[in-house]
Amino acid sequence: MKKIFFILTIAIATLTAQAQEAQENLKGTVKVEVDGLSCPFCAYGLEKNLKEVDGVENIKIDVENAYVLLTISKDKAVKEETIRQNIKDAGFTPKKIVMMPDKIS
Amino acid sequence: MDNYFFCYHNNLYKLFDRLVMIKLKTIIQLLTLFSLLLSLKMTAQGPPIFTDTPIMLGLEGRGLRTFGNIISRENANAYVQPIVVPYNISNKWQVSLIAPFVSISPGGADSRSGLGDIEISTKYQLYKKDGKGSTLRGLIRLDETFPTGNSSRVPALGSGAYQTTLSLVNGYVTTKYGIYSEFGYTITSDGLPDNFTYNIAFGYPLLPQKYPPNQLNVFLEFNGNYVFDQVGNNLFVSPGIQYIAGRKLLFESGIQIPVDDSAPVGQRTNYILRIGTRILIF
Repeated sequence: MKKIFFILTIAIATLTAQAQEAQENLKGTVKVEVDGLSCPFCAYGLEKNLKEVDGVENIKIDVENAYVLLTISKDKAVKEETIRQNIKDAGFTPKKIVMMPDKIS
Repeated sequence: MDNYFFCYHNNLYKLFDRLVMIKLKTIIQLLTLFSLLLSLKMTAQGPPIFTDTPIMLGLEGRGLRTFGNIISRENANAYVQPIVVPYNISNKWQVSLIAPFVSISPGGADSRSGLGDIEISTKYQLYKKDGKGSTLRGLIRLDETFPTGNSSRVPALGSGAYQTTLSLVNGYVTTKYGIYSEFGYTITSDGLPDNFTYNIAFGYPLLPQKYPPNQLNVFLEFNGNYVFDQVGNNLFVSPGIQYIAGRKLLFESGIQIPVDDSAPVGQRTNYILRIGTRILIF
């Protein structure tokens, strides 16, 4: 019984760590929903701030649908919190962040 | 910074007082034209031309702005070209320096030109509520105008007085339209009258929105100023058009037409034409 409990604890800890890593380390193409993105003329600061993130290769801003697509370098991983903070610093509100299977066209 | 016009309006008030009434018919025609433009399919727009914006981003926060104001009055003409350099200390706090070049041609007197009154302005964001494709923002602005324009002889290039203005600027901007308001009170030294500024603006785009921007926007603004002396209220209706050519460049033009003018006949304003640009430099 003790052995089973020990194995279960290890398994849960491993899964939790993996889930945390998946949440924090963004790779590939990432879609970031951004609130407050209501005018193209003010999106320049957002683009500039996201370009400063180490590992972000390409940025595509869709004002009409209120999201940003980021391409992250193959050999890099970017923390979700870094992306959120840079969006806040640009004067906008970050919402849902998801990794996409497709690349930016 | 857009309150700047009224600071200048007051400064020039000392030089050649006020203004002219325009025919109601012209205003109705402008409103009709604007209504027709609104009936087109439109999405999002840029900052207003005469009214301040609570959004301190992009061309409003990292750029250089300049515009020419061609002021036509019954008894004089003037040209004012301020250069505005805003700098964002943070995404909530901005400072600006405004340095104007002024040229005045009074009727029947020699023209004069040079540096006008320099202004330092600071804005602080009070609130922000972002939604999908929309934002509601408000800020407080403090402007201090220094009497750097020579006022020792006529026509004077400055007011000869310090002016302190405290304003509240609010705006609701969506991907389909923008509504802006600006209310400010100016305290003036040297016995010149205080004044209350009130500006309201509506903006609509004519082209589909995208980034980098390629936008054509139209505005209808109401720019008022109540002077606490015998002059009283002045109100302009101000249609304008704006073209945003990519990430870093914007061109705009608007005309202010007086609809309420308390100045004596012979000293009233015919119109004020503004042609300007904003360039992102930071």
